[in-house]
Amino acid sequence: MPEVIVEMRHITKRFPGIVANDDVSLEIRKGEIFAVLGENGAGKSTLVSMLFGMYEPDEGEIFIRGRKERINSPRYATSLSIGMVHQHFRLVSNYTIAENIILGLEPTKKFLGMFPCVDIKKANRDIAELSERYGLKVNPEDVIENVNVATRQRVEILKMLYREAEILIFDEPTAVLTPQEIDSFLHILKNLQAHGKTIILITHKLREIKAVADRCAIMNRGKLISILDVPTTSTDEMARLMVGREVSFTTEKSPAHFGDVVLSVDNISVKSVTGYEAVRGVTFEIHAGEVFAVAGVSGNGQNELADSIAGLLKTSHGTITLNGHDITRASVRERIQAGVAYIPEDRHNVGLVLDFPLRDNFPLRRYYSPKFSRRGIINEAEFDGYGRTLEERYDIRSSQGGATITRSMSGGNQQKAIIAREVDMQTPLIIFMQPTRGLDAGAVMNIHRQIVAERDRGAAVLLISLDLDEIIDCADTIAVIYNGSINKIAPAESLTVDDIGLYMMGVGRTA
Amino acid sequence: MRKFFLSCFAIVISLLFGALILWLMGKDPVAAYMNLLQGSGLMHKVKYAGRQSMFTDFMSFIDAMTPMIFASLSVAVALRGGFFNIGVAGQMMAAGFAAHMLAGVIPSRVLVVVAGLIAGAVVGALIGWLRYKFNVNEVVSSIMLNSILMYLITFYINTFYVNPVSRQSKPITDAARLTLSGFRWEGLKVDIALAFPVAIITALFLNWFLERTTYGYEIKATGLSPNAAYYAGMNVNRTALMTMTLSGALAGLAGVSYFCGYLASIQPGTTPAMGFDAIAVSLLGGNNPLGCVLASFLITIISKGSVYMSSRQNIEPEIASLITAFILTFAACSAILDRRRRK
Repeated sequence: MPEVIVEMRHITKRFPGIVANDDVSLEIRKGEIFAVLGENGAGKSTLVSMLFGMYEPDEGEIFIRGRKERINSPRYATSLSIGMVHQHFRLVSNYTIAENIILGLEPTKKFLGMFPCVDIKKANRDIAELSERYGLKVNPEDVIENVNVATRQRVEILKMLYREAEILIFDEPTAVLTPQEIDSFLHILKNLQAHGKTIILITHKLREIKAVADRCAIMNRGKLISILDVPTTSTDEMARLMVGREVSFTTEKSPAHFGDVVLSVDNISVKSVTGYEAVRGVTFEIHAGEVFAVAGVSGNGQNELADSIAGLLKTSHGTITLNGHDITRASVRERIQAGVAYIPEDRHNVGLVLDFPLRDNFPLRRYYSPKFSRRGIINEAEFDGYGRTLEERYDIRSSQGGATITRSMSGGNQQKAIIAREVDMQTPLIIFMQPTRGLDAGAVMNIHRQIVAERDRGAAVLLISLDLDEIIDCADTIAVIYNGSINKIAPAESLTVDDIGLYMMGVGRTA
Repeated sequence: MRKFFLSCFAIVISLLFGALILWLMGKDPVAAYMNLLQGSGLMHKVKYAGRQSMFTDFMSFIDAMTPMIFASLSVAVALRGGFFNIGVAGQMMAAGFAAHMLAGVIPSRVLVVVAGLIAGAVVGALIGWLRYKFNVNEVVSSIMLNSILMYLITFYINTFYVNPVSRQSKPITDAARLTLSGFRWEGLKVDIALAFPVAIITALFLNWFLERTTYGYEIKATGLSPNAAYYAGMNVNRTALMTMTLSGALAGLAGVSYFCGYLASIQPGTTPAMGFDAIAVSLLGGNNPLGCVLASFLITIISKGSVYMSSRQNIEPEIASLITAFILTFAACSAILDRRRRK
C-alpha cells in the first residue's frame, strides 16, 4: 500500500446559493496521477483550490503527509510543496521565462560586493538545467508574450518545480491546447510521475484520463460519486457516472412540426476576440418550429458561434443565411431587423444596461423604431407603457416597477426581462445562450416552457447550453460541439444522455 | 434624490473642513464665508465704491458663472458617454484663441461663438477619434493636448499677438466681446454676460437631449455599458465620437465666454483652472445638466467671492481653491459610495 500524501475528510464548501462541495472525502497516494472528473459546476475546481489555499473549507479537515493542515494561503500551500497551474496562466507577459519562474525567489548576488541584485545568469543556468532534467524544453531568455500557449504551460510547470513542489495540481490544463500539444503534455505528466511527483489533474476529457491517470474521482453537483481505478474502468462507464442522473422530461412538449429552413449556417469559422479560431467549419440548418440544441463542454466555441450568428463577431469563413437572405456581413442592427433575437450568456455586461431603469432596458434593441421614437425623439409614454405591458405579461418583479434600477433586481428577474424583450419581438429566429445559468428550479421550468412556446409559434430556436438536462428537456434536434466543430447532429430521441456525454468529450470523433 | 443628498453632504463636509482650516489660521470662518457671499453679490457689503452696488457684484458673479456652466456641461456630457474629459482647459484655450483670431479680423459676436464652438468640437472629436481608432485613453490624450495647445497658443501670442503692457494677448474689441463691460445703467457700471441666457438654454436643451432623444439614449447606453450598446446594435464608435464632439463644443462655448467675455484677453503660459474645477462642478451636479447649473452657482460663489474674502480677512485667496478641491474629493467619494451601495 503506497503512502497517502493528501487526505481530505468530509469537506464541505458553500457559496451563496449553492453547495460547491458536499461532504467529500478522498485520499491521494504518493506518486500517482489522480484525476478529478466532472461536468462544469460539479465542484472540481473548488475542491482542489482548497488544497492550494485559495479557499478554506467550511467543514472538514485536510491532512498533508499525515499532518492536519489549515491551508489558508497559496504561500502556505507552496511551503507544503504543493503547486498549482491555473486554467488561466499567471505570468507576467513582458518578462522573460526565467524572470517569471524566479519571481519571488530571485537568486541574488552582491554587485561590487555590496549592492544586492538579481543574479539572472544563475537563474538562466538553473532553469536550463531544470528544464533539461524534466524534459520541459524552454529557452529561459524568451519573453513570455512571444511564446506559444504550450510553452507558457511548461513555464507554469517549471515555476512549480523551481519551488520544489511535490504535489502538482493542474486545473483543466488541456483546455487551451491543440491535440498535438495535448499528447506532448500527457507525456510530460508521465515524466513528472516518473520523477516521483504526485499529480492531481482536473479535467472533463475522458481520453486524457484514460491515457495517464491511475485513479479517478468522479464528481457531480458537489458530491463525490465514486473513485475508480482507471485501467479497469471503461470510458463509457466513466461518462455514464459523470453525466449519470435521473433524466427527467419535465417540460410538456407536443411533437414538433418542422417548417421551412429558417437559419442555414454553412461551413462558418469564427475567430475569438483573442484571435484563436474558436469555431471551425460549422454547418447546420434550423427549421421553423424546431428547437436545435447545441450541447458541449464550456469553451468549445459556443459563445463565438452564438455571437457570430447574432452579428457580434465576424465570421472569417462561410455564410449565414436567414430565410434565404445572406446575413453574413450584416450588422447587429440589420440582423435584429431581419429577425434575429438573441439572449446572450452574459446578462450583466451584454444583455442589459444594469444602471438603466428597467423600462429603458426593454426597447434596448428597438429604441430607434417608429414604435418608440419619431425623428430621434423618444416616445416616453410608449417606453413606460411597453415596460408595464412586458412586466405584466412576463411576470417580471421589481421593487419600483419600470423605474427600478436594473442592477438592483434579482438575477431571475433580470433574465426574465431579457427574454421578455427578445421573445416579444416575435422574430423568425431566436437564440438562447445559457438561458438558465444560475437560476433556481422554478425560473428554469418557466424559461423551458417559453422556449417550447417559441417553437410552437413557429420560430426557429437555437438553444446553446452546458446543461444536458436543459438540452434533453427542450431539444428536437441535438448537435454536439467539440473543439469548435460539430461532432454529431441527430434527432433528440435517437440519442441517449450517455451518447451525448461521449460526443461532448470528443469520443467517436474520427477526424 | 439620493444624488442630491450626497452632493449636499459633500458641500457641507467640505465647508466644515474649510472652516477648520480658517479657524486654525486664527481667522473667523463665519465672517470669511459671509465675505464669499458678499463678494458674489448675494449679501450686502458694508460699503461700496462709486458706481457699484450689490447688483453690480451679482452681475459680475453671473459673468463669472457663465463659462463655468458651459465647462461643467462639457464634463457632464462626456462622463455620461463614458469619457473623462480632463481636457476642458485645453479645449477652452483653443476656442478662445480661435475666436480672438477671428474677431481680430471681423469683430462679430456671432462669429466668436461659432468659432469657439467649432474649435472646441474639433479638439473634442480628436480625443474621441484617438480613443476609438488607436485605443488611446482619453485622460492621457486630453491632458497631453492641454499642454500642446497651451504652449502653441502661448508661443503664438508671445510672438505675434502680445499686448506689451499687460503681457497678455491683445484684448478683443468690445463689438465682439460676449460681456458688455461697464454698461451704464441707473448710475451704475454693470457687466452684462450676454452668454448667460445661452448657458441656461443649453443646460435645459441638454437635459432634454439626454433624457428624451435616441441620441441621448445611445450616449447613456454606451457610457454605462459599451458591450450592451454594441449588442443593442448601436454604433458604439460613432456614439463615442459624437459624445466627445459635443463635449468639446461645450468646452468651446466655455472658452469663448471666458476668454472673450468674462476676460477680454488670453493669458499666455497658463491653462484656465476653470477647466479642472468644472470636473468638481459636474460631479457635484450629479453629471446632470440642471445639476451642473446649480453646482456652478455654488462653486462660483467660492471662487468669485474669494477675492473679497481675501481682502477683508487678509487670507490667501488660494483657500477658496482648497475648499473647491475638498468638494471635488468628497463628491468623487460619494459618487463611488453610491455606486458601491447599488451593486
